[in-house]
Amino acid sequence: MSVAVKFDTVSRRFDTEVAVDGIDLDIQEGEFFAMLGPSGSGKTTCLRLISGIDRPTSGHIEIFGVRSENIPPNRRPINTVFQDYALFPHLKVLDNVAYGLLVRGVAKPERHREAENLLEMVKLQGFGQRMPAQLSGGQRQRVALARALINKPRVLLLDEPLGALDLKLREQMQEELKTLQQSLGITFVFVTHDQGEALSMSDRIAIINEGKVVQVGSPQEIYQSPRTRFVAHFVGSSNVLSPALSSRCNGVENWTSLRPEVVVLGDPGQGRIDGKVKSIRYLGASNYVSVELGEETIGALVNANEMTAPVGSAVSLNWTADAQHLMDEE
Amino acid sequence: MNSTTLTVRHSSPGSRLTDLFWKKPGLLIFCLLLPPLLWLGIIYIGSLFTLLLHSFFSIDEFSGLIRYEFTLKTYAELLSPANFDVILRTILMACAVTLAAALIAFPIAYYAARYANQKMKALFYLGVMLPLWSSYLVKIYAWKLILAKQGIVNWVVEGTGATFLLNSVLSLPVIGGNSLAVSYIGTFIVLLYVWLPFMILPVQASLERIPESLLEASGDLGAAPKQTFRLVILPLALPGVIAGSIFTFSLTMGDFIVPQIIGSSRRFIGQAVYAHQGTAGNIPLAAAFAVVPIVVMIIYLYFAKKRGAFDAL
Repeated sequence: MSVAVKFDTVSRRFDTEVAVDGIDLDIQEGEFFAMLGPSGSGKTTCLRLISGIDRPTSGHIEIFGVRSENIPPNRRPINTVFQDYALFPHLKVLDNVAYGLLVRGVAKPERHREAENLLEMVKLQGFGQRMPAQLSGGQRQRVALARALINKPRVLLLDEPLGALDLKLREQMQEELKTLQQSLGITFVFVTHDQGEALSMSDRIAIINEGKVVQVGSPQEIYQSPRTRFVAHFVGSSNVLSPALSSRCNGVENWTSLRPEVVVLGDPGQGRIDGKVKSIRYLGASNYVSVELGEETIGALVNANEMTAPVGSAVSLNWTADAQHLMDEE
Repeated sequence: MNSTTLTVRHSSPGSRLTDLFWKKPGLLIFCLLLPPLLWLGIIYIGSLFTLLLHSFFSIDEFSGLIRYEFTLKTYAELLSPANFDVILRTILMACAVTLAAALIAFPIAYYAARYANQKMKALFYLGVMLPLWSSYLVKIYAWKLILAKQGIVNWVVEGTGATFLLNSVLSLPVIGGNSLAVSYIGTFIVLLYVWLPFMILPVQASLERIPESLLEASGDLGAAPKQTFRLVILPLALPGVIAGSIFTFSLTMGDFIVPQIIGSSRRFIGQAVYAHQGTAGNIPLAAAFAVVPIVVMIIYLYFAKKRGAFDAL
């Protein structure tokens, strides 16, 4: 497998702030790569640097081994699905999809045929003669996808493409995108602030915060072995144990992450540590039980049909040694 | 009576009026719209109708009095070679001014909409609006001084040794003349100057409404900048250009002061209307002349609408 996009100490500074701060990153050819981070973390800027809409203030971006500073966006083998879809309001859906071929000088019958094919692929056959304003959000999203794919890009960039859709549609599109990526075999770089989306779709995830890559890895690695407190909090709403609490529970003085679903509640004195139930949140399939341990709390995800101790009662917490993860950094 | 009972107060006539408006919202809208509707209906439409009516009357050639009976004689007179020339000249001038205004306005508007920062934008608005704040007549007389034989333009041209160039332009048939101030070129320049802001502002507004992401998407899909301009920016800015052209076209067609002060003695529609209703007392012919711009504008708007210029409004 070769490297599709390589970030080599890339920075992008605006007047007063640093949006991207010396990022090194390899995105492999053919993988579904997610950039996950809170809003304002610089992930969209990363995408704009790859597409060429924006240029790094220092460092280099290599696209299939070629330094790309002087290649304008219209000559990169890369297309983007924009966050607001950016469909051309004055063009019919068919002409929107065919736009990439139009500007390459492909004749009308051919480009319309190809655009019809792509509309069929995104399940919008028969919508070609409509205007974008006549479509729903989900349909516009599909048009944007078809339009970005018509040039057969080697890398497809997706900037929070599902952000504006409602939950059900979003889950459906997640599956479709994943299937599409596998059947096309091209590299998808996907920007999102939704950790569930990133975990369920990606081959690898880069966690980005304040313009820096905090951790890169498979969804399992990221979820089970967060490297920093930020990752633990952001990705899994994991419990983060301070070194002091950690030493009380397992004798190791280190920042430790502990996922709520591995925590088992028991009678006082039966587990690693005792605490008091602070609150219980009903989540449908499970209950989220917050247990107070002095200054800190640990959350436990308990199956909804299991009995839990009432609020205010004393409980013990237990977990197996391999369920906890000692973090490298704070 | 219990102290918690809701008390209904009917005190002042003002509050009773508000109550009435609250119960009948239609009444409020009626009261708000009545004065402007009266103004539009009686003063504006009424006078327009009188004008139209007069164009179907004719003037008695011997007595010089208006004969109040329906005839198309005046319109026939309008199509006589001398009068038709006036119409053609005016329309051509309006076209030329509109075209030139669009060409000049677009880059300025584009800069203001896409590149100017807050401070430059304030300067832009000031620069565009400033001429509108001073007297129309003063501006035109100032231009007469600029364009006259002893004016600034001539002085600069002589200083740079380009006299032959100016002379060759002025020696062109029809549009040339003794000096810029008495040629069609002069009329054109000044008309362009006075009506240009009416083109710049709507074009700038339409360019500002184009989201940046559309231009980025176009480039991302492989369009070179000039393709993006032709395929995205221009079509989306077209409503603004058309709105601007409606202003510049109609204002040029109706103007009679600029061609009166700057230009050759050959008349434009405005001057013809002025002369016929004033000294000649031929109200019917003046009315018929005045109908021409209205008809031209209706045709123009029809085609603009057909081209979808108002779809994006």
